[in-house]
Amino acid sequence: MEKKTLLVAEHIDKRFGITHAVNDVSLTIDAGEIRGLIGENGSGKSTFSQMLCGIYSIGGGTFTLNGKQIHPRNQVEANNEGIAIIVQEMGTLSGLTVAENIFLGHEGPFMHFGVKDSHAMNREAQRLLNEYGFGRIKAADMIDHYNFEDRKLVEIVKATYMKPQILVVDETTTALSQNGRLELYKIMDAIRADGRTVIFISHDLGEVLTHTDSVTVLRDGEYIGTVRTADMTEDDLKRLMVGREIGSSYYRDDYGEPIADEVVLSVDNVSVPGQISNVSFKLHRGEILGFGGLSECGMHEVGKAIFAASWDRTGSVTLADGTAINSITTAISHSIAYASKDRDNESIIINESIRNNIVLPSIDDLASKGVLNERKLTAFADKHAKDMQTKMQNVQQFVSDLSGGNKQKVVLARWLGKGSDILVLDSPTRGIDVKVKQAIYALMADLRRQGKSIIMISEEIPELLGMADRILVMKDGVISGEFMRDRNLSEEDLIAKMV
Amino acid sequence: MSKTIEKLKSSRYYGLFLLAAMLLFFYGFFKILTPSNFGSPSNLYSYLQSSIIYSVGGCGLYFIVVMGLFDFAVGANIVLSSIVGVILSKHYGYAGFILGCLGCGTLIGFLIGMLYNNLNVPSMIVTVGLMLIFESLAVFVAGGVKQTLDENLRFFSGAPGNIILAGLAFLLMYFILNYTKIGTYCNAIGSNEFVAKNMGINVKKYKLIGFMLLHFFVGIMAILTVSYGTTMTALTGMSTMSRNFQPLMGTFFGVAFRKYKMPITAIIVGEFIISIIFNGFVALGAPTTIQNVVTGAALLAIVSLTARGSKGSVVK
Repeated sequence: MEKKTLLVAEHIDKRFGITHAVNDVSLTIDAGEIRGLIGENGSGKSTFSQMLCGIYSIGGGTFTLNGKQIHPRNQVEANNEGIAIIVQEMGTLSGLTVAENIFLGHEGPFMHFGVKDSHAMNREAQRLLNEYGFGRIKAADMIDHYNFEDRKLVEIVKATYMKPQILVVDETTTALSQNGRLELYKIMDAIRADGRTVIFISHDLGEVLTHTDSVTVLRDGEYIGTVRTADMTEDDLKRLMVGREIGSSYYRDDYGEPIADEVVLSVDNVSVPGQISNVSFKLHRGEILGFGGLSECGMHEVGKAIFAASWDRTGSVTLADGTAINSITTAISHSIAYASKDRDNESIIINESIRNNIVLPSIDDLASKGVLNERKLTAFADKHAKDMQTKMQNVQQFVSDLSGGNKQKVVLARWLGKGSDILVLDSPTRGIDVKVKQAIYALMADLRRQGKSIIMISEEIPELLGMADRILVMKDGVISGEFMRDRNLSEEDLIAKMV
Repeated sequence: MSKTIEKLKSSRYYGLFLLAAMLLFFYGFFKILTPSNFGSPSNLYSYLQSSIIYSVGGCGLYFIVVMGLFDFAVGANIVLSSIVGVILSKHYGYAGFILGCLGCGTLIGFLIGMLYNNLNVPSMIVTVGLMLIFESLAVFVAGGVKQTLDENLRFFSGAPGNIILAGLAFLLMYFILNYTKIGTYCNAIGSNEFVAKNMGINVKKYKLIGFMLLHFFVGIMAILTVSYGTTMTALTGMSTMSRNFQPLMGTFFGVAFRKYKMPITAIIVGEFIISIIFNGFVALGAPTTIQNVVTGAALLAIVSLTARGSKGSVVK
């Protein structure tokens, strides 16, 4: 059967200041396919799709949908043209009900002579939620009462109920649990079966290979090519993304090395109400200790609790010398670093320069009798940003201009600059492309060799298996299993303790 | 079990319970201290009548405060609109009075909104500047003399006129919040302006509407204020500044109880609580300075108990 072309993008271009984010990209997408869109961080895939969805204005070139040129100026205009997007970060608005969020900008059917029929809106929203299998979410409730994942599910309903011709799924799966992901895949398959199209953006290449029909690759803002998924392996895709060979194993390849006896951190009976309960473990010198589990299992709270960033924490976190870690200041001054999963909100100051982000915890060390030396600060930040191979113009550039992977490099540069000996890294490679992932894994292995200890919290099981000396699995706020590094350890072994 | 408690704590009933508990607490507190000259049914009725004037202003302020904006020109507009209304009432009776207050109020809101949108300057700065201009304008319009409302035009000076008018204002607010897009869009803009814009919301338009609605309610407040006091004197030198804060206190309650989906009830009850506290101190014979200190402290305590962010959340 001949495929019908749905979208034609011709010479699409976009610049942000001196950054050429999308450079003369032309491609076509057929009706009834799931098209993967991959590339390194900063490759232009999100910018490209956000121009299509009206979030960014189109810098140059044209989009033609079903033979008609479109120029959406915002998401609602894009929706009206038949294009919808589920974004990577939070896309729902607090202070509104679930129903108001679903129909925001599309209240028309519920308005009669300017009067809104909230009951009809709630009824329709609830019908949709039930239809999608999310009936536990109540349309009339304030959205604020739901967690990040539930809000993502609401966003999925919002983006798809109008039956868009093209649905863009932009790095959404990292925010979803396994069940949430399965729901999303089902919806994507249904869209394809209906003769409509999904543009699927993901850094999880396994997921891309499993759920797409074809894959378009962008690199440094330029179109590299479109390939049939069935003809590709993960390594093929990596090579296309990066432009050179990246081996299938970028994890550690050592097995059987004993963990040092020296304990650097003891966590005893740590509890955080409603999150974790009586968590106890010891971290050894030069150890990478992995924490795994489903997204709501409490493992992310463990990271915060160690860094004394949890409220109402009980139990004790002590260093080898007996120092109790009861405040963030004590944690930092005793060489503990923490990189949060929520990078943009909790780890970096988005509207500040790279320099100021890097020097922040080291500012006292860099001051001379309380007086700061601009040159010294810049040199310090420059050194550590370059050590991390951060892609930037200079350290005065704002962090908001950087891609996700480079933001993470700034976070790591900050703590390496501080000389931290214990690093708590929550989802260190979340939303990061393979090239930066490889760099971060290499850095972790190097730090481990230097005798630094790392707690790596991750929702990616291969990452845990590949990098950790020991893995603690959590379920419902408690530790449900412990595994030592072993070549024969499988994903199934860990999953059995997670669910 | 904990989920049921969580659900209950986010319900409207819990919000009502909190408001009722605070009301009873402050009423009981002053009633115990001064049983003879505080809190009789007629006293309470009187407190309510004075508080509903501020509740009307509180409702208006709600539209812009939820969008993260602020307006220091509310007091100046109360004075200006009252004076315009009283002057027009001399020629056109009730029609002139009502339309003068509402028309002048709304026009001022339109001017503020337009200037704010076009100058691209924080609302606080724009409204402080305009407050000074409106104060001077009021002096000019009044011709430097005190304006007195004719005795035949004082239907809104007490019950049932003031209750009816305020009741209509609350109904209007309820209608706008629940049956038009304005309430939803104001909340959306306050939550994330960038996302709201991407949802096709004309942010500038709704900010303008917010200012116009605020000052329409200020116009109603002007009717009630000048009817209650019967005269209005225009003064300069930021003397209207203090008139901004009492309605704002009610708005704080409204914003705090938004999560229980009952901002209007919270504004009305909140202003009533503030009125009880003021009058309680008057009954106790406390000096004004002490009254202000304790009222301010009570407001902080109430709002921190109800509107405080969750532990660890960032509050600005």
